[in-house]
Amino acid sequence: VSKVLQLALGILAAIGGFVDIGDLVFNIEAGATFGYQLLWVVVVGVVGIIVYSEMCGRVATVAKRPVFDAVRERMGFGVGLGVLVASQVVNLMTLAAEVGGAALVLQLLAGISYRALIVVAVVGLGVAIWVLPFEWIERLFGYMGLCLLVFAVGAIKLHPDWGAVGHGFVPHADTGNFMLYAYFAVGLLGAAMTPYEVYFYSSGAVEEGWTQKDLGLNRTNSMVGYVLGGTLSFALMITAGALYLPRGIDPQFIGTVALGADVPLGTIGLILAMVGILFAVGGAAIDTCLSGAYNVSQYFGWEWGKHRRPSEAPRFALSWMALLVLGLLIIVTGVDPVMLTEYSVIVSVVALPLTYLPILLVANDKAYMGRYANGRLANAFGLFYLAIIMVVALTAIPLMILTNGGKG
Amino acid sequence: MTELQVDLALGLLDHQLVDCNGRRCGNVDDLELDLGRDQPRVEAILVGPPVWRNRGLLGRLLASLSSARTVRVPWTEVEKVDSAVHLRKPASEYRLGRGDDRARRWVEWIPGS
Repeated sequence: VSKVLQLALGILAAIGGFVDIGDLVFNIEAGATFGYQLLWVVVVGVVGIIVYSEMCGRVATVAKRPVFDAVRERMGFGVGLGVLVASQVVNLMTLAAEVGGAALVLQLLAGISYRALIVVAVVGLGVAIWVLPFEWIERLFGYMGLCLLVFAVGAIKLHPDWGAVGHGFVPHADTGNFMLYAYFAVGLLGAAMTPYEVYFYSSGAVEEGWTQKDLGLNRTNSMVGYVLGGTLSFALMITAGALYLPRGIDPQFIGTVALGADVPLGTIGLILAMVGILFAVGGAAIDTCLSGAYNVSQYFGWEWGKHRRPSEAPRFALSWMALLVLGLLIIVTGVDPVMLTEYSVIVSVVALPLTYLPILLVANDKAYMGRYANGRLANAFGLFYLAIIMVVALTAIPLMILTNGGKG
Repeated sequence: MTELQVDLALGLLDHQLVDCNGRRCGNVDDLELDLGRDQPRVEAILVGPPVWRNRGLLGRLLASLSSARTVRVPWTEVEKVDSAVHLRKPASEYRLGRGDDRARRWVEWIPGS
């Protein structure tokens, strides 16, 4: 029974931890602009993150190589260092955006100044990382993030045209503005497959001390969690498609997102939505912050991990603190978190192939992986997604420029 | 470790160093080879910013910013090589992990460290 319970608890945490500010912004904006047409892209993105998370978890467990060990080993010191710098920039932008999102929600709840609440959010996150063990961080933020399920209930109560929703899962483009459609498709893929998710997942496998025995359980855990987490993305897009598109609302504020639960469900819905968003973006802020510290420590061979005391891994601890402070400095300038989110997702798409290629290479190395090396299926999916990612990476920035960052 | 055949580029270079207490204490940044025999032999592992100089533009830049010295670990100190390179003694005996030793005072004043 305890195994079943453990599995259920893990899955719940994975669902609640799935959505971050990138998913919130892109799903809502895509829904408000194109209705349900882009639902199929979310499916593609969710399968992609499952394919590479599974591979990263397996490589970290069997070959004992978290992502940035593999990056340095396979791409060499020089290129690896370039990848490190690029991914740290992306991580930092994402972190700043998540912190800004958390502060905006706090502002809606508490009504005091946004800048003061940024500081409150950063201090809160810093204390959480310092005090809580790794598993607790994952669970606390994951479970509280489950409040976002209110959007799934809300989406049903809005009585969307289910025929049109179903049609959204079939790839099609029913629009005169194909550029904008492509921009949102790229953004939705990027939001679902953000690089920090695989950094965090792979280092997390080492933090939790996975062995080959745990591999099956954890794989099931994350796959089911991601699939069910993906339904939250559907719910957000359907809500926006049913609520904002017909009324011509352009959801440029986090508050507009929360309203998506207020209209069908009233004040309780609104509060649950805000709590859900707060913990979803807060959890993602912690994930990005720790990911940045994992990456730099692994690259330079420093002691790392929450499973070590800060005094045993001081450079790791100082790294996440420094990132948190840098994130604070970026967002406190007053840069719009929604805009920053869009930029961070689009830039992260460009860094994706550099993260995924070394993982694919190590996962194929029989010398390390033995019978856990990639089989045909994992390689077919891995190569397919690497190809998609390459195309997306090449088109992301041109599309952002051509569509004026999604403003049409 | 005396006799072991490895692919130097993939099997050794850039691997994690772990001391006898399981402490991560740097990466294999470069290797010192003896090329005087039919097959090259690894004489020592080199660790530290100065050897990054040979490893690309960014490496040169980082090396010039750091004042740390190269640490040379003789191959005879290697206990075993798997996903990491395991050393026989604690890191401090090789003067490895000194960056973490120096950084410790910045965090150890915080309660719960």
